[in-house]
Amino acid sequence: MKVVFAILFFISCLSCESQSKINIAAEKKMVKVKGGKFKTFYVSKTDKPLLVEPFLMDECAVTNKEFLEFVKANPAWSKSKVKRLFADSNYLKHWKSDFEIGESNKNIYNSPVVNVSWFAAIAYCSWKNKRLPNLAEWEIAGNAPPQNIQYTSITDYIMKWYEKPSLPVLPNVKTTYCNTYGLYDMHGLIWEWTFDFNSFISTGDSRNTSNNDNNLFCAGASINVTNREDYAAFLRYGFRGSLRGNYCISSLGFRCVKDLPSNKL
Amino acid sequence: MLQISRKNFYLKSPVLFAILLISSTLFFFSCKTNSGNSTAENNIDTVLTGTVNAELTFAPNVPKPLTYTSPKKVIVQLETIEKVMPISDSSEYTFWTFGGHVPGNFIRVRQGDLVDFTLKNAPESKMTHSIDLHAVIGPGGGADATSTAPGQSTHFQFRALHPGLYVYHCATAPVPMHIANGMYGLIYVQPKEALPKVDREYYIMQSEFYTKGNFGLKGLQEFDEQKGINEQPNYVVFNGSVNANAGKNALPANVNETVRLFVGNGGPNLVSSFHVIGEIFDKVYLEGGEMVNRNFGTTLIPSGGAAIVEMKMDIPGVYNIVDHSIFRTFNKGCLAQIKVKGGRDTLIFRKN
Repeated sequence: MKVVFAILFFISCLSCESQSKINIAAEKKMVKVKGGKFKTFYVSKTDKPLLVEPFLMDECAVTNKEFLEFVKANPAWSKSKVKRLFADSNYLKHWKSDFEIGESNKNIYNSPVVNVSWFAAIAYCSWKNKRLPNLAEWEIAGNAPPQNIQYTSITDYIMKWYEKPSLPVLPNVKTTYCNTYGLYDMHGLIWEWTFDFNSFISTGDSRNTSNNDNNLFCAGASINVTNREDYAAFLRYGFRGSLRGNYCISSLGFRCVKDLPSNKL
Repeated sequence: MLQISRKNFYLKSPVLFAILLISSTLFFFSCKTNSGNSTAENNIDTVLTGTVNAELTFAPNVPKPLTYTSPKKVIVQLETIEKVMPISDSSEYTFWTFGGHVPGNFIRVRQGDLVDFTLKNAPESKMTHSIDLHAVIGPGGGADATSTAPGQSTHFQFRALHPGLYVYHCATAPVPMHIANGMYGLIYVQPKEALPKVDREYYIMQSEFYTKGNFGLKGLQEFDEQKGINEQPNYVVFNGSVNANAGKNALPANVNETVRLFVGNGGPNLVSSFHVIGEIFDKVYLEGGEMVNRNFGTTLIPSGGAAIVEMKMDIPGVYNIVDHSIFRTFNKGCLAQIKVKGGRDTLIFRKN
C-alpha cells in the first residue's frame, strides 16, 4: 500500500516538473542501438528471448554538471528538499550544497553524477523527455564490444573494474572505452540504474530456490544459468537485486534512452 | 462401549501402560528441570537477561570466554569492506572482507543468546554483499535478510541454539567469487557448559586464492575465475596471507601451556588435512561439534567447516601448522607457526 502511495505521489511530482521545463543547454548526443533478441544469461534454454526494439541512448552517463541544471530547474530535487521516500540520506552527498557542486569538486563536473536514486534518475530523464533504459535495453547496449581499446575479453575487462575498490575521485565521462554503437563507459566507470532493476530477483540469498525468480543461484539451481561462467553478469545482476528505489550509492549513476520516432505508431 | 473397550485395551497392554507411565513420569520430571535453569536456555521463551555488545576480534585473536550464565541479547555489527592488502611479501590482492581483514571478525556468543545482527556495507564498496552464518537456523543462514548494497545496512535476529564452531561467509552472486576474494570468518556458539579453561586460544582460518599470476609474482594480482572453477589455487594460506602467523608473527606459547585453536576452512574449494608438525592433538572437537577425538595427528576440516583442536606444549621450539596435502605448504604458502618457549623436558624428547 505504502508503495502505491509512493508511486502516486511520485507521478504527481513528475507532472509538476514537466511544467517547470526551462531552457535546456546543449543537448547530449544520443546514439542508435539496434535492439534485437535479448536473453538474460541466467534463463533456462527453453525460455523465449525478449524482443527489444531499436532505441536511442545517451552516449555517456549524465554528469554532475547536467544534473545540477535539473536540480536548479526542479528545486524539489535539491538535497534539502527531496523526500526521503525518493532518495535516502546519501543523495548528492558529494555536492557542496543544494545548488552547488562546489569549487573543490571542480574535477568532477564532467564525471558521472552518482549518489542519485532511481526516482531522481527517472525524474531527470522525464525532464529531458527521455526515460530510463530497461534492463534488456541496457544489457544489449552494454554487451557491444569495445572499439577503441585493446582487450582480450569483455568479461575480463569488466571483472578488472569490479575487482578494484572505488576511486576517491570519479574520472570524467568518456574516459574508459567506446563500444561499437558509439556508447562510452558502459563498463568500467560506474554502475547504472535501469528502469526494472529489481525485476529479476526478489531475495537477497543468491542461492534461494524457493520462489519464482530462482534462476540466479550459485548453488543447486544454477543449472538454469545458460552461461555459469559469466561472473561479470552475475555481479551486475546481484548488485541490481540488492537495490531499492531510494538508494543513493557512490558508484551508481545513470543515462537516459528515448524511443526512435519510428517506434511510435 | 467405546470407553470400556479402551479401558480393556490399556489393561491388556502392559507394555503400552508402562510406556504411558514412564512418559508421564518423564514429562513431570522434565517440567521440574525446566523450572530450574539447566535446559531453560534452549527455550526461546526464556527472558533475556540484558544486552551486551559482542567482543569481535581478528585472527589470530579469539574473544574472551563468556562468563555469563543466562541468555542475553548480543549485538553484533559487521562491515563489509573491499580493499587491497598484501597476499604475500611481494604481491597484493583486492580482498573483499568482513571488517577489513581476512579472515573476518571472530564472533563469540553463548548458546541460547539472541543475536541482533547488523550487516553494513561500506559506502566505497563496489559490490553488494550478504552473510550466511552456518550457526543460523533460517533461510539462507541470514543471507536472505542481508543482501546489502554499498553504503546501506541490513538487520536480522537469530537465536543461537546449537553450540559449536561455525563458518560464516558472503552469499551474494557469484558466491564462489565472493568467498574466493576473502569473505568468511568464524562464529563460535559457546556451549552452556563452557569448555575447560586453557592457557591460550587462537583463531586460524585456512583458505585459498586464485590469481592470474603465479605464486609470489610481484604486484597486484587479479582473480582468475578459470583457476577457481578448476580448483587449482596459486595460494593456500592461513589467516589471509603467506606468513600471516609465521616467522615474527608466530603464535607465542610457553612450555606446559595448553593451546586451543579455533580452526576454520573458508575454502572455497579445498578440504584441509590439518596437522601440527611435532605435536599430537590431545583433543579435537571434530568439525567444531560435540564429539571429541583424542590422541591423533591429522584432522580433516571440510571447506565451509571447522574444528577445535587442543594440545599441551611439552617441548620448546617452533611447531609448524600445515595442511598435510603438503605441496600446499611448500609451494603455496600454507604455513603458520607456534613458537614455544621455556625449559626443556628431556624425559620426552632428547636430541644428541
